[in-house]
Amino acid sequence: MLKFILRRVGASVLVLLGASVLMYILVINSGDPLADFRESNDPRAAAQMRSRIAAMGLENPWYERYWDWLKGVGGCFTGQCDLGNSVNGTSVLALTEQAAGSTLRLVTLATLLAIVLGVGLGILTAIRQYSAFDYTVTFGAFLFFALPVFWAAVLLKEFGAIRYNNWIAEGQYAPGTILVIAAVLALALAGLLGGSRRRRLLTGAATFVFVAAVMFVFNMIDWYRNPSFGLVMVVLTSAGAAVLVTALVSGLKNRKALYASLTTVAVGAVIYLVLAIAGVLAEPTWLLLAGLFVLALAISVGIGYFMGGYAKKQVMMITGITGTITSLMVVVDQLIAHWASFLGLKSRPISTIGAETPQFGGGFWESALDKGAQLLLPTLLLALISVATHSRYTRASMLEVMGQDYVRTARSKGLSEREVIVKHAFRNALIPITTIVAFDFAALIGGAVITERVFGWKGMGQLFQQGLNATDPNPVMAFFLVTGVAAVTMNLLADIAYASLDPRIRR
Amino acid sequence: MAATGALLFSACNTPGGGQAEPTETSGSGTVEPTDGCKADLGDVETAEGEIKYSIGEDEWHAYNNDTGATNSTYNTVVNTQLFSGFYYFGSDGTICHDENFGSYEAVSEDPLVVEYTINEDAVWSDGEPIAYEDYLLDWATQYFQADGKPTVDGTEEPLFDFAGGMTLGTYVTTFPEGEVGGKTVTYNYDRVYADWEAAVSDTMPAHIVAEKAGTDVAGLVDAIKTGNVDILTKAAEFWNTGWAYEPGDMPPAEDVPSSGPYILDPEGWTAGQAISVIPNEAYWGPAPATSKLTFRFAAPETHVQALSNGDLNAIEPQATVDTVTQLEALGDSVTVSTGQEFTWEHVDFNFASGRPFAEDQGGLALREAFALCFPRQKIVDDLIKPINPDAVVMNAREVFPFQDAYADVIEASYGGEYDEVDIEASKAKIAESGLTTPIDVEISYNAPNERRSQEVALIKSSCDEAGFNIVDGGSEAFFDSELSAGDWDIALFAWAGSGLVASGQSIYSNGGGQNYGKYESDAVTEAWTALADSADPEVHLEQQKILETELWKDLHGMPIFAHPGVAAYSSELQNVRQTVAQNGLPWNAEQWSMAS
Repeated sequence: MLKFILRRVGASVLVLLGASVLMYILVINSGDPLADFRESNDPRAAAQMRSRIAAMGLENPWYERYWDWLKGVGGCFTGQCDLGNSVNGTSVLALTEQAAGSTLRLVTLATLLAIVLGVGLGILTAIRQYSAFDYTVTFGAFLFFALPVFWAAVLLKEFGAIRYNNWIAEGQYAPGTILVIAAVLALALAGLLGGSRRRRLLTGAATFVFVAAVMFVFNMIDWYRNPSFGLVMVVLTSAGAAVLVTALVSGLKNRKALYASLTTVAVGAVIYLVLAIAGVLAEPTWLLLAGLFVLALAISVGIGYFMGGYAKKQVMMITGITGTITSLMVVVDQLIAHWASFLGLKSRPISTIGAETPQFGGGFWESALDKGAQLLLPTLLLALISVATHSRYTRASMLEVMGQDYVRTARSKGLSEREVIVKHAFRNALIPITTIVAFDFAALIGGAVITERVFGWKGMGQLFQQGLNATDPNPVMAFFLVTGVAAVTMNLLADIAYASLDPRIRR
Repeated sequence: MAATGALLFSACNTPGGGQAEPTETSGSGTVEPTDGCKADLGDVETAEGEIKYSIGEDEWHAYNNDTGATNSTYNTVVNTQLFSGFYYFGSDGTICHDENFGSYEAVSEDPLVVEYTINEDAVWSDGEPIAYEDYLLDWATQYFQADGKPTVDGTEEPLFDFAGGMTLGTYVTTFPEGEVGGKTVTYNYDRVYADWEAAVSDTMPAHIVAEKAGTDVAGLVDAIKTGNVDILTKAAEFWNTGWAYEPGDMPPAEDVPSSGPYILDPEGWTAGQAISVIPNEAYWGPAPATSKLTFRFAAPETHVQALSNGDLNAIEPQATVDTVTQLEALGDSVTVSTGQEFTWEHVDFNFASGRPFAEDQGGLALREAFALCFPRQKIVDDLIKPINPDAVVMNAREVFPFQDAYADVIEASYGGEYDEVDIEASKAKIAESGLTTPIDVEISYNAPNERRSQEVALIKSSCDEAGFNIVDGGSEAFFDSELSAGDWDIALFAWAGSGLVASGQSIYSNGGGQNYGKYESDAVTEAWTALADSADPEVHLEQQKILETELWKDLHGMPIFAHPGVAAYSSELQNVRQTVAQNGLPWNAEQWSMAS
C-alpha cells in the first residue's frame, strides 16, 4: 500500500510540474499586461509602462520568469513561501490564503450537502425505480445539470434574495401560495412513500392538511419574522431522527439500539437545558461550540457502548449519528431563536454580494446568521448541480448492484429488505461513487469561479480570473497550485478509499 | 469555460463617469450645481448613516496611490476621500480650485513662477500642519534618480516609484522655495509647462516619511536639499512600498493621516468585503454630509442586483443597452443618469507609404471618399443613443462635446462636410484618387469588442456601396503589436482623456511617440509646440483651433463619439453627480446624503 501511495505521489508531482510549465506559458501569452495603458494618451503612461515592465520582469524570457516563480514555490518546503506579488504589488501568498479560506468555506458545505442529498436521492430513486417520484427526480436532475450557472445564479439572487427580502418585510404567505405549497409537498411525500393507491391518497391528504394548517398558524403568529423552535421541537425532531437512523442501520427490531438512541436524545435534551439555564450558549465562541460537540459525541458513543449489548459497534454508530443530529438541532434552535434580533439588525437579511456584512454589529448568533444567510444562495447553487450528478450516478450504480446474483441470494436467504439494501447493495454501490465525489470536490474548488464572481465572494476563482484579466501570472499560478494540489490529493484519497471499500484493489 | 469567457469579457469595466446631467432629484438637500465644480452646500452637518458604493471587485490596498504598482482607481477612489489638494477635476473634466485647501497663482508667465498658499488651518488628521515640507517631498519624488542624482530628461531609473514619472523634475530643477513649517511654496519653472496647473495638488505626509526613514522633518528636508542618498533611499523605500497593505490588515491610524474630509475607519476593513471611511475630526473645511462611506469590493456585473437589494446605494455599471433597460425596470426607487465619458472613439488613417490612404496611393481624395461614406450619425443613433439619448457625433479631438470650448472650436475648424453620408460624392472622390475599385481597406481594432464589430459592420454596409471593400480586422493582438507596428489601414480605437492640455502632442506631431499612423504636418506640429510652450489658456484655445482645422483639412482621422457612461443610485440619495473624471461617481462623495 505504501509503495502504491508513494508511486502515485511521485507521478502526481511530475504531472503538476509539467502542467505548471504549460500553464505559465499559456498565461503570460494570454494577453497584454500593459493593455490598460495602451489607450491612454496621458504623458505619464510611458513612465507607468516602464515601471510595470520592471516590476513584472516582462523583459525576461519566459523560462527565467517561470524559474523565479518556481524558486519561490520551492521555498514553501523550507517554510519561506513566496508566490510573488500581483501586478499591483500585493503579496500573492496573502491573497491566496484569504481566497482559499473563503472558497473552502463555500465549497465544503456545498460538497457535504451534495453528497448526502445526492446519494440519498439516488438510493431512493433506485428503490422506487420508474415511480412518479423517480421520474420527477430524474427530470429535476437533468434540469439542474443543464442549468447555466451564471444564469441560475442571477435568478437565485432575484428570487432568493431581492424578492425574499421584500417578502420578509411583511412575512405573510397569501392563502393561495399556502395551498400550492401544501399541494406540492403532499404530492412529493405521497410519491416518495409509495404504497397502494389508497395509502398514497391518505399520505397526500394528511400532508396537505398538516402543511396548510401549520402555514396558516405561522401566518397568524408572525412566525416568519419571530420564529421559535424550542426544546420540545428539538426533542421531537431528534427523536424522529433517532428512530429513522436506528431503522436504517440496525432495524427497529433491535430494541437495545432503539433505546440507546432515544436515551442519547434524552441526555442531549437535558444537557441542552442545563447549558441554556447556565447561559453558556448566549454568547459562545466557535471553539466552545466545537468543544461541546466533541463532548456530545463522546457521551453519545459512550451511551452506545454501555447500552449496545451484542451489537456494540453498530449501536455506537447509531448513537453517534443521533448525538450529531441532536447537537445540530440545538444549534438550529439557537439560530431560529435569534432570527428576530438578526432581522432587527439587518432588515434585508440576504445580500446579493459578499461573504458577510462588513462591520456587522450583532452578537455571535446574529453574525452566524449573517454569514449563514450569505452562504445560503451560493451553496444552494453549487449543491444543486452536484446533487444532480451524484444522484444519477448513485441511482445507476445502485440499480446495477441490485441486479447482481449475490443480492438475489441475500433476498432468498430471507434477509429483510433493509438489510439487503443497506448491508449488501449500498456498500458495493458506493465504490464508483467515491471516485466521483472526490473528483467533484476538487472540481468545485476550481469550478466555483462563476459562482464566486456572481455572488461577490473573493475566492480562488476570483484570484484566477483577475490574474488572467491582467495577464498577471502569479495569482493564476497560485490558483493552479491550490486546485492542482487539491485535485491530486483528492485523487489519492479516492484511491485509498477505494481500497478500503473494495478489498480486491488492495493487492 | 465558454460561460466564464462571456463573464470575463463583461468584466472589463472602464471606471469613469459621464457628464453631469440635470439631476431629477428634488429632495430638499439637493443643491443644483452651477458649473462642473462641486456645488456649495453651505453649512453641512454630518448625518448618521452609511452609503455604500463599489467600483469593482479589486481590494483597496494602498494609502499611497502615486506609485506605479498602486496607481489604480481601486485605490484612488478611496484615497480621494482622504486627501485634499489645490485642485480637483470637475464633472466636465475642467480643473476646479479647492479654496478650502489653499490658493495658487502664476505670478509670472515667462519664466513661469507659480506661488502656492496653503490654508492656515490646514492640518493632517494627526494635528501636524500641512506645509512646505510636504510639497518639497512631493517634488523630490519626481526629481531624484536611483543613485540620488537629479533627473536630466526623466527617463532614468527613478529613486521614488512615482507613477507619473519625473516630468515635474525636468521642468523645476531648483528646490521649490519656502520654509519648513511655512504655508507658502514657490515653484520656479525652467521652461514654460502648459500643464503646470495639474502638476501640483495633494501630497503625502512628509512627517510620516521622515519618521520611517529614521529622521525628522528637518532631517528629511536637509537630506533632500543636500542630496543625502542614505536618508533618501530609506525614505524612498518606505514611500514606494511601506504604505501598501495586505487584505484586511488595517494600518494604525498614525501611519495614514488624512488631509481630506474623511479618515480610514480603524474597524472598517473586512478582507475581501469592504473598506469604510468616517469623518475626519481635524478637517477644517465643510464637514462631510454622511457619517460613513463604505466601498464594497464587488464585481461590476453584480452591481445592478446589489443596487436593487440595497447592498449598494450608488453604482456605475457598464454602459450597455442591457444595463440601462435593467436599471430602468427597477422603477422609481432608483435614479438612472446617463452621460458621456472622458474617452472618445475615433478612426485613424495610416499614412505609411503603400497603405491605401497614404499620399503615394489614394491620398487625400481617398480619405475624403471614405469620410463621405462613413456613417457616423448612424453609428451614434444605432449604438450609442439607446444608452445615452443625448449622444452626439463628435467633431473634435482635443475638446469634448460636453465642454464649454467645444462649440467655439468646431465653428473654427469643421464645416460640417462629413455630417451626412453621400455615396455619390464618395464615388466621385474615389474616381479622383485614381485607384481601381473595389479598394480593400482593413479596419483594425482590439477584439473581442462587440460595439466595434458593429461599427465596422455599419461602415462596411455604407462604404462598400461607394467602391470600398471593408475588411473586419478585429484582432486580439491589436494593441499589443499591430497598432504600434503600423500594421493596419484604418485603426479604430479610443483615447482616454487625461485632463491635460498638451497630452495630444505625441499623437499628432511629426515623429511623435504615439503617432502610429506616421502622419506628418508641419502646421500641426508647430501648433502643438506653441501650445505646449505656453501657460496661457487663451493661447491653448487658439492653437487648438488651428490644429483641429489642419487635422480636418488633412483628414488625419475622424472622431466618432464620446463613450457613453451610466450611473444609478437609490433615489433617496442626494447630491450624487455623474462626472467624466477618472475616479468616477465618488468625486464629490463627501456631499452625498440620504434624504431623511
